[in-house]
Amino acid sequence: MIDLHTADDRAVRDTSGSYGPVRTGGRVALFFRRSKLGSYTLVAIVTIIFLFPMLYLFNTALKSNAEFAANPVGLVQHPHWENFVNAWQQGNFKDIILNSVLYTIAGASIGTFIALVMGFPVARGYIRGRKLWNALFVLVLFLPNALVTQFQLLLRLNLYDSRLGYILMVGVGVGIGPLLFSGFASSIPRELDEAAASDGVGYWRYLFTFIVPLAKPALATVFILQAVWIWNEIILATVLLADPSKFPVTVGLYAFKGTYSNQWGLLAAATFIVAAPLIVGYVFLQRFLVNGVLGAVKG
Amino acid sequence: MANPSPTFPFPRRAPVRITFGLALGILTLFGLVPAVAVLVVSFTDLRGLPYIPVHWIGFENFIEFFSPAHWSDNLNALVNTLIFAGASTIIQIVFALGIAILLNRKLRGTSIYRSIVFMPTVLGVTVIGLIWSLMFNPSGGPAAEILGWFGKSSAFLGDPNLALALVTGVQIWAIVGVSVIIFLSGLQAIPHELYEVSSIDGASSWSQFRFVTMPMLSPAMTANVLLGVVNALQSYQLTYVLTGPSNRATQVLSLLVYVQGFGGKSGTTLSQSQGYAAAISMVQFVLVGVITFLALWYLRKREVRL
Repeated sequence: MIDLHTADDRAVRDTSGSYGPVRTGGRVALFFRRSKLGSYTLVAIVTIIFLFPMLYLFNTALKSNAEFAANPVGLVQHPHWENFVNAWQQGNFKDIILNSVLYTIAGASIGTFIALVMGFPVARGYIRGRKLWNALFVLVLFLPNALVTQFQLLLRLNLYDSRLGYILMVGVGVGIGPLLFSGFASSIPRELDEAAASDGVGYWRYLFTFIVPLAKPALATVFILQAVWIWNEIILATVLLADPSKFPVTVGLYAFKGTYSNQWGLLAAATFIVAAPLIVGYVFLQRFLVNGVLGAVKG
Repeated sequence: MANPSPTFPFPRRAPVRITFGLALGILTLFGLVPAVAVLVVSFTDLRGLPYIPVHWIGFENFIEFFSPAHWSDNLNALVNTLIFAGASTIIQIVFALGIAILLNRKLRGTSIYRSIVFMPTVLGVTVIGLIWSLMFNPSGGPAAEILGWFGKSSAFLGDPNLALALVTGVQIWAIVGVSVIIFLSGLQAIPHELYEVSSIDGASSWSQFRFVTMPMLSPAMTANVLLGVVNALQSYQLTYVLTGPSNRATQVLSLLVYVQGFGGKSGTTLSQSQGYAAAISMVQFVLVGVITFLALWYLRKREVRL
């Protein structure tokens, strides 16, 4: 903590490229301020704090019950790869991962569609009441916790414990999407609309074959932000779904924990099975996520 | 409407209205209607099962919320919510600022470190919850092992005095990456000339930090505080996964809504008053609104002063 704080001063110095008088601090503090090595030490500490839990999870996932009991913390001696196979079968992970994929893609598609067909005309003023709609886009960020009424609504629509009901509920969890997209749409020149219209292109064709390809990065960001939220959602799924065969991975994994709470090797393997696709996907998609966070802040 | 009516280049307005209306319809039915209905339901004795008559009971749920029978539980959840939100936001921002400044130095592979710090956001609460349950496993987890070197032991998440602090810590670990990225983009927008000029004027590194970096970062700071507070006041999924739905030590308001409305424990659906749960939702909504408003007011004032 203290080290991180002294790092603050050092960065200021770095960007300025000059070395003013050092305010306070002993030799240790100086080390972290002045040397590249000090910076790398701090970065290494931060990296360990974030990577160690995941590596430890993998280490545990390779232990049999006997090995975990004998040596819970140490490095694995006899990798027990069966844990992954067993977890995969006992947790029914094939089905629940497919459920999550379905909920995530369908839900985030609904949300992105809403952001597109509402955000664009509002940004352009093609729909009357621009201020009102913009206020609505902000309002959806601050809605109260509606667990009770979401449940009651699906119950009354006969959509309780149905995949469709859950997809619609997470689909409208658009969050920052419409606001983000209407901000982006304002940056597309209006002349393009006029040029397309004078060539006889209708609104739908324009929106879906001109704007969508142009706005691909923004739409991807909107989609991914919502997809991450849906993939990780657990409480709504617990409340709105009752049949275990419809559970998403979050609920499935939590239930798995309840059943096998003492078999840490198996449990760690199951956690790893759920985490691995996320980590792989993250490597490819992080650009959009980072853009999304920044876009959300500017919007 | 205040704004001048914009020109509409396309031949017909109907397609705009059809898709806009469709999206608005879905959003209204599944998003806005439940949100508004929470307010209505909070004045009724609605229960979990259908076909039970529902009565209008005025402010009774709210009176019950503050009644002696419930107040100690509710106060506990309220205090936990505030501690959790306050502590996680403040500590997370201090860490995020430190990490962002560190990663803003000219080091090799900063984008890799940035990705690593941001990764928990993608892993999600269930995975994070299980990873940290494993780390804090009282019988033979790494944390227990380290305590063991000093001849001590702890129940960690099972210890009522420690559980909230640990959940807060895990929350910080999970979301600090978002703040780091916001601070980093703020830092990269600061012109180098400001540092050059101030160092010619003989400013120490501390005063450069205080009078150049901090003021220039204030929009990022505002964003981080708001995002952090609003998120933490409403977040309960991590608490749910780490310590279960009805653990008094870590009970927060939004989890109380779940417990009151849906039991958390199975088999008692009839007795759960969802009207009462909706009333808790409204109390929480007002709390979030007031705190957001105060934070925004304070931060705007601070930005102007800087």
